[in-house]
Amino acid sequence: MQPAATEDTTLVDETLGGNQLSFQLLVERYQDRIFGLVRHYTRSMVEVEDIVQDTFIKAYRKLETFQRQSSFSTWLYRIAVNTSLDFLKRAGRNPVRAIEDPEVVGTPTQAGAPRSIAAPDANLEREEIARITHEVLEEIPENFRTVLVLREFEGMAYQEMADLLGISIGTIESRLFRARARFKDALVRMHPEYAVGS
Amino acid sequence: MNVTCENVRTLLSSYLDGELSEEQAKPARAHLMDCRNCREAVQEGKVIRRWLRDAELPVEVPMGFAARVARRAFAGDPGLLVPQPGVRGEKSLLPFVLKLAAVAAVVLFLFSLLIQKESLPSGEEIQATDQSWMFEEHGPNAEPLASEEDAEEAENAAADQAPEEPER
Repeated sequence: MQPAATEDTTLVDETLGGNQLSFQLLVERYQDRIFGLVRHYTRSMVEVEDIVQDTFIKAYRKLETFQRQSSFSTWLYRIAVNTSLDFLKRAGRNPVRAIEDPEVVGTPTQAGAPRSIAAPDANLEREEIARITHEVLEEIPENFRTVLVLREFEGMAYQEMADLLGISIGTIESRLFRARARFKDALVRMHPEYAVGS
Repeated sequence: MNVTCENVRTLLSSYLDGELSEEQAKPARAHLMDCRNCREAVQEGKVIRRWLRDAELPVEVPMGFAARVARRAFAGDPGLLVPQPGVRGEKSLLPFVLKLAAVAAVVLFLFSLLIQKESLPSGEEIQATDQSWMFEEHGPNAEPLASEEDAEEAENAAADQAPEEPER
């Protein structure tokens, strides 16, 4: 029988007490997820590694401010998202934020626009699907991209996303709705071979 | 409860993501049974999710990453302050260099003014009407020497006053 994994909060306490190994365990525990999240903001693996490293170093420096009202993972994700967006700004690749008009919610597909999109071709390599998807994601405003990534790639619940981004569940719902619509529009525009109907 | 297409589309993301309570999902399901357009919208949402989920590739974390980060954090590393050093360097160094150049220009200008002031005689030291140099060789009581023009004039006047030599 394996011993139960040490709680995040215990590792946080030990890190604050000066235990470097405990912090290393925290990094090992979350590094895959943070790498997975950050790679949706830049294609360069060198940049991804820099951002992830900066995320963990910021987390260490701010560890005393961790209030424990949310989980450590939510707190760490927030730092990772902010660090990624900060990176895009500093690199002169200003993330575009879309204005969210509540009136748009529920609007059916525009007249004349393709009705639907085809599923990824079964013959396509996974790498090719990933390439197309990331290319399309880069076209989507930052606030929409972030909710899509958190939901689809990280599998976060709405409440967790709301806590992380500091917005209401209603905003998460409507933002996801629009984010998916934007994704579809961008995919059809950039790869019309996947459009279905007229 | 009368559920409209607009109601369902507003809840579409939550419906797809299984975030609706049974109380909310039941009327939405009933509407989908009757509404082909909304069914297609749900299908489309599922296709979009497939695009996103199929795009997930395994993460490759560099060897020894956690140990390296922990070591740097405990060594007091302030972080990379991304992006890359080159881009950051250009941004932070340029204003500094410009300020330095401006300060250097002002200092040079002031220095050149100072040098100019030191090397040229001032207005108090030399004047256009100053005749003191004339006394230097002849003593303080000597008459000032006439200029060449004055001398010529005096010579002409003397010639006029002199009696003409009688003709023989």
